[in-house]
Amino acid sequence: MSSLFQIPPKLKIILTLLLFFLLWGSIPSFSQEKFRKSPPPPDPLPQLNLPEIKSAVLSNELSVSVVQQKGPPIITLQLMVLSGEKSSPPDLPGLASFTTRMLPRGTAAFSFSEIQERIESIGGDFSTSTHMDYSLINFSFLEQYLDEALQLLSRMILHPDFNKQEIANLKRSINYELMDNSTNPKFLSKRLLYHILFQDHPYQNMAYTKEDINQITQKDISEFFENHYRPNNAKITLVGNLSLSTATRKVSHYLNTWRNQDVKKIPPSFPELNKKLKICFMDVPRVKNPIILVGNLASPINHPDFFPFTVLNQVLGGTPTSRLFMNLRESKGYAFYSFSRLELFKSCGVFSIESKVRPQVIFDSVQAVLNEVKKVTQEPIPSDEIEQAKSYLIGNFPLALDHFRSLSLQLAKIQAYNLGQYHWEDYYEKIKPIGAEGVFKVVKKYPLSKPVVIIAGEKEETFDYLQKFEEIYVYDSKGKLKYVQRKKEKDESY
Amino acid sequence: MSIKNLLIPFNLVFFILAGLSSPLSSQDQGSLFPVEHHELQNGLQVILSEDYSVPVVSVVIAYQVGSIHEKPGKSGIAYLLENLMFQGSENVGPMQHINFIHRMGGNLNAVTTEDQTLFYQKVPSNQLAPVLWLEADRMKSLKITSSKVKKAKTALIQEIQQRKNKDPYLESSLYFDRLLYPHFIYHHPIFGNESSIREITPGDVKEFYSSYYTPNNAVLCIVGHINKKKSMEMVKKYFGTIPKGKEIPSMALRNFSLEEQTTRTVENPLASSPGFYLGYRLPSPYSDYYYPLKIIEYILIKGDSSRLHERLIKKEHIATHLHGEIEKKKNLAAFKIFVLTNNQITRKMSRKAIFSEINKLKSTAISEDELRKAKNLLRRNYTYQYSSTLNKAIFLSEKFLERKKLNFQVELEKYLSVTPNQITRIMNKYFGPHYFLLNVNIK
Repeated sequence: MSSLFQIPPKLKIILTLLLFFLLWGSIPSFSQEKFRKSPPPPDPLPQLNLPEIKSAVLSNELSVSVVQQKGPPIITLQLMVLSGEKSSPPDLPGLASFTTRMLPRGTAAFSFSEIQERIESIGGDFSTSTHMDYSLINFSFLEQYLDEALQLLSRMILHPDFNKQEIANLKRSINYELMDNSTNPKFLSKRLLYHILFQDHPYQNMAYTKEDINQITQKDISEFFENHYRPNNAKITLVGNLSLSTATRKVSHYLNTWRNQDVKKIPPSFPELNKKLKICFMDVPRVKNPIILVGNLASPINHPDFFPFTVLNQVLGGTPTSRLFMNLRESKGYAFYSFSRLELFKSCGVFSIESKVRPQVIFDSVQAVLNEVKKVTQEPIPSDEIEQAKSYLIGNFPLALDHFRSLSLQLAKIQAYNLGQYHWEDYYEKIKPIGAEGVFKVVKKYPLSKPVVIIAGEKEETFDYLQKFEEIYVYDSKGKLKYVQRKKEKDESY
Repeated sequence: MSIKNLLIPFNLVFFILAGLSSPLSSQDQGSLFPVEHHELQNGLQVILSEDYSVPVVSVVIAYQVGSIHEKPGKSGIAYLLENLMFQGSENVGPMQHINFIHRMGGNLNAVTTEDQTLFYQKVPSNQLAPVLWLEADRMKSLKITSSKVKKAKTALIQEIQQRKNKDPYLESSLYFDRLLYPHFIYHHPIFGNESSIREITPGDVKEFYSSYYTPNNAVLCIVGHINKKKSMEMVKKYFGTIPKGKEIPSMALRNFSLEEQTTRTVENPLASSPGFYLGYRLPSPYSDYYYPLKIIEYILIKGDSSRLHERLIKKEHIATHLHGEIEKKKNLAAFKIFVLTNNQITRKMSRKAIFSEINKLKSTAISEDELRKAKNLLRRNYTYQYSSTLNKAIFLSEKFLERKKLNFQVELEKYLSVTPNQITRIMNKYFGPHYFLLNVNIK
């Protein structure tokens, strides 16, 4: 039967091909599974079950804490002395740092070289660091060598040998380091910022120079050690697969003869706030793209303002998605980067913003940074931005505890500032309720829009672009004020 | 034709097969920590490891491709593509991958080596699904456009310039590599060179991507606070339907002669101190000789109390900088030392001191104490490689691509069982008169 519906073979092929091509053409929209179009939602936030910090105090008042953890067969030992650079005498900045660094450089029985050999024999890593409020010895080693590690540490603490040759060697090393940093605009601008913000405050000691280091004597080191390295002014923390009772027994065995003694403490005092915008220029040779460091004082670490300040920092400049980076780099194209930072100490904190910019746009970049800061002091941050910042902080918090080294750093802060276990266990609960108004209230308490601005770069490349500023304090790379330049006025030389 | 269109027919086939993949599952008993290995039907290797210390998860995806896979005239393409992997795929805009991870509170980065390219991220453990979704999207459908390639090339050329400005010894170290490794695939720099980068076309990049960024050329490693069953379900969902790539022909690897030697001198106008490079060609890193050689590396130059540090830096004060290691480049290995000195006299003294320490190790058996120290330092560094979820994930990915095995305990034992006799024997065999020396003079 012939039918009207019969399709001629030729047409059949054409239709088949047409259908094929129609389907083929539409494949891109069908081929992709639906789930690929947008990111899946995350699972609910996991419970933050963090390891417990268990502590005991020995008869000589040395505090011993343990964070027991299964994992790699390594123990991390941290000896903290609760005297940092702020405890250096005002005429000897850098003494606290120098003393800590002398510890592995010889004991009554072993030379520096022998100590290094003993450290490496137990698979050890040894380092020291000195902060504003405390000094730290970090010592990690293979777990089977706990006795050897404690014995070596006890020799450094009980029988240090601050011999003149090693003092000279350390001075040489620090001078090399400072020389290396003599063209580092990040280091130099931070040192100048601290120097200006901490006028007449013990925290200014952190801005020590080569000249300060060179005047330190053997007597100064011995006296500082005698006055501050006391068990009642120290805390030992061990992280690894060991119990508090084992740790206490062993630490006591090696350090029970460490004699306690009253340690003179400097009561915390908040430095005077910088309430006037101050523009400073520092001539740093060979720095074609200058660094702009904008900073002012913030709340101390152990203060209720800490958490709202942390959220503010995140909104402004915590990551490349924060306001400063998006504005100065992505939108305006002025900067290579622009980030903010919150450093917290016992007496106060420092909130700073660091940007690396092209010299031609220095003035506009400083204005852009100041405008961003001004904005948060004039109107509350929108809630969605606050929520985004909180989401980052909550997500990021456990990441810093995922390595024994970063865990130790967190522990050091907890121990130094008596923050207690709550500091990390309640972190989520402290961050979650913070709202736009809470942040706004805290921001208004501090004169963030009247900061110190340091511009560090090569004068030849940079200085012409600074002429729009009304007043500039001009420093050399050593941090010495050379003169003040005022617009349409004569220079005021120093 | 775009990469996306090329993948369509395969996609249809694999759409049907989705969910049918029956992975090989194996629990490796020779590991230092629990590890589970699966293989998807498209060839993707999946390694899972639980670690409940903190609620985070690290995800690494490693592709078996690096500078060794580049052709002459196209050097730098592997590194260029690593950068382009952040410039957007079918469902993820340029730089959005980074923004997504930052918003989660996570960290991320990527690295290109001679024969591997790794992308890694560490995030809170509840964010595993979005991370897998992101990684799958750029494995399946990276968007490579002319403007993106142009921008990435400009950025890479600028980076090379910055590297040269920052490191006055970069050019001389590249020259030394050309002496030590005579064949192009081993000696050209990972970041390429300006002229070859300029020659790379969008077509080259697309071809490189479609050849190597395939599931059958990759290992996905997930370590952290995870539920293994649920994690595998996610992996299958996001990666299972990505089509298998073409089989990658095995590389024509080259060998070098262990019986050659060369001494050269170059003038370096950028350098502030005279120095030299010294290199010994070694047997393949896949051979059993590698274990005693690694211990020798620790005895001679690793750590502040190693023999060369002790003599050149601490006792004789004749060198201002000393660095050395065994360098592995796929099937080749070499022992490389770089020394900076104050002047020509101390340079000569430093060279002499190194040869004297090498000779001592050839003629006198090492003491048990010194051997134990070298092994303990090695054990510490080996342990550091799995000291966080991210370190573990990188360690597992690299090792798996390198050896296709996960029996680390066995590997570690091989290092720890090296004897003083083996060291003397190996020293005499490979540290003879055949070495490569490049003196660097200041102008």
